[in-house]
Amino acid sequence: MKTILAKTLMAFCLISSVYVMDVRTVMAHGEKALEPFIRMRTIQWYDVHWSKQAFNVNEEISVSGKFHVAEDWPIGVPKPEASFLNISTPGPVLIRTERYLNGKPWTNSVALEPGGDYDFKVVLKGRLPGRYHIHPFFNLKDAGQVMGPGVWLDIAGDASDFSNSAKIINGEMIDMESYGFANGVLWHAFWGILATAWLLWWVRRPLFISRYRMLEAGMEDELITPQDKLIAKSAMVVVPVMVLAFNAMANNDLPNTIPLQASLDQILPLPAKVNAGIINVDTLKAEYRVAERAMKFDLKIDNQSNAPIHIGEFSTANVYFLNKDLPVAHQDLSGSSTVSVEGMSLDNNDAIKPGEQRTLTMIVKDGLWESEKLDGLIRDADSRIGGLLFLYDLTGKRYISSITAAVIPKFN
Amino acid sequence: MSANISNRSFRPYTGEKARITRAYDYLILVLALFLFIGSFHLHFALTVGDWDFWVDWKDRQWWPLVTPLMGITFPAAVQYVLWNKFRLPMGATLCVAALLIGTWITRVFAYHYWNFFPINMVLPATMLPGALVLDFILMLSNSLTITAIFGGAAFALLFYPSNWPIFGMFHVPVEQGNGQVTVADLFGFQYIRTGMPEYLRIIERGTLRTYGQYATPLSAFCSALLCTLMYTLWWYIGKWFSTTRYLNRI
Repeated sequence: MKTILAKTLMAFCLISSVYVMDVRTVMAHGEKALEPFIRMRTIQWYDVHWSKQAFNVNEEISVSGKFHVAEDWPIGVPKPEASFLNISTPGPVLIRTERYLNGKPWTNSVALEPGGDYDFKVVLKGRLPGRYHIHPFFNLKDAGQVMGPGVWLDIAGDASDFSNSAKIINGEMIDMESYGFANGVLWHAFWGILATAWLLWWVRRPLFISRYRMLEAGMEDELITPQDKLIAKSAMVVVPVMVLAFNAMANNDLPNTIPLQASLDQILPLPAKVNAGIINVDTLKAEYRVAERAMKFDLKIDNQSNAPIHIGEFSTANVYFLNKDLPVAHQDLSGSSTVSVEGMSLDNNDAIKPGEQRTLTMIVKDGLWESEKLDGLIRDADSRIGGLLFLYDLTGKRYISSITAAVIPKFN
Repeated sequence: MSANISNRSFRPYTGEKARITRAYDYLILVLALFLFIGSFHLHFALTVGDWDFWVDWKDRQWWPLVTPLMGITFPAAVQYVLWNKFRLPMGATLCVAALLIGTWITRVFAYHYWNFFPINMVLPATMLPGALVLDFILMLSNSLTITAIFGGAAFALLFYPSNWPIFGMFHVPVEQGNGQVTVADLFGFQYIRTGMPEYLRIIERGTLRTYGQYATPLSAFCSALLCTLMYTLWWYIGKWFSTTRYLNRI
């Protein structure tokens, strides 16, 4: 008895501890799970901006930004011939009402061009109240999900206030939350009643043991009566006739239906914004120092602009390393938790003059290499790094280069 | 069918024996219902999957081909058992009804309440008319061959027209982003599915292009042909994996 009481008490304590302890909901969605070389060398996001991060049910917000499709697309990853800009949400807590790529409305998937530059905008509408961690991200066919930078969104209000209507082509407004539901239930109920009647017709009689014994005794004729046969013959005609008649009625009611649409949208890249030819950056060597959590780059920079420039920022896989000595602003990174404000150091921080070619060493160093699981690059099959290097002149004009190099690990 | 007990010596159960066999009937029936709800629903979710989950997957070509082909499997196996051992012509209807019970429970609780999708976006399709006809044909013909050919074909051919009254209204066009989409496509665009990008849908992909817009009848007839074969295969699966040896001891 004592043992039972002790076990019961222990079980109670164990269950209670779950409630007493500060157990939090896991909000991760695998943003660091994809191999680093894919996150670094496929979709390179920048200037991502949310119009609002706190809003109400039914209120519209937008996320906009830019991305560069890396020239050094990994050989092991299928080319982005079908890609879909998605939003990582825990179910449709928001709905997507509009989406644009390079200013053009964009509904289906699209083929992206390696080396291409794009800007995007997605309009979302609050549906379910709550606090959610949300990313824009790309579904790449046969490759996986490449996440953009994430933020926390707070949706306030009452879920029952949500409304979503659409105008069908004859001008009628429909409620997307309930359209077709009652009709569907009606038809399921109709066929369900017929099926139930047929099942009950047989279930009302003795079933398994009795019928098995009679069948074994050769009394098959008594198991299926002439009345059963008459009903089955009638129903065998009536059911298909009803199906065809209801189908014809539906066709009559819906004369202007179309098949599901699944074309690939055709949207060309913008004129080059990254690697635009004014500032050319060549990565001579990249070395990852494991113990220091530092990536060292030897860069050859050719300034063909007519103003002196500074390196201001390096970003890869939504991690940002900033040059704290840069006198002009960086891209807006407010709200981002993956910014290394003092993570960049240069062996020569002087401005690169117009027409000058300079070889310099850049070190980007931070624990983010490890916490964002980017240091796994040295154990990837394709251990090349990719990222965007942002350079600025003194007026704040920005030049962007997509840099890439094989990474040599230094373990000591 | 061999008769182990002679017709003359057969005595129906009466009294307590009759009551116990009736209780046994209900016990088996309830267990069978739960078994088919679970197993057929799992089989259907793993094979038909997205075609049945989402309104924007129900195209004219693949949906009417894949759904009856995978849907005739369990009905064929269960028909073998219920017909050959008990002369009960309700195997197909029972299976499909169990599938629909499982499907509706999942759609309401898992898709709607748990994952917030509007229930009209995840309405299941029905195969009940085809299942009823399959049972009628088996009962009237008492023949595997005739049921496979005509029942299997009817199961496939009745699928699309019996579902069009449910899903036709989701094919009304809507203007979206300077193009036209169906209401079903609009559901797919608006209600965000993180793991379901648009390109994953298999919408009229393939070489069925030389008959204008008549993809559905061709798919349905192709499915009818395949269903006759699938029916036979699963009839024999029912035969191989079923037994009534425990009844012989009663």
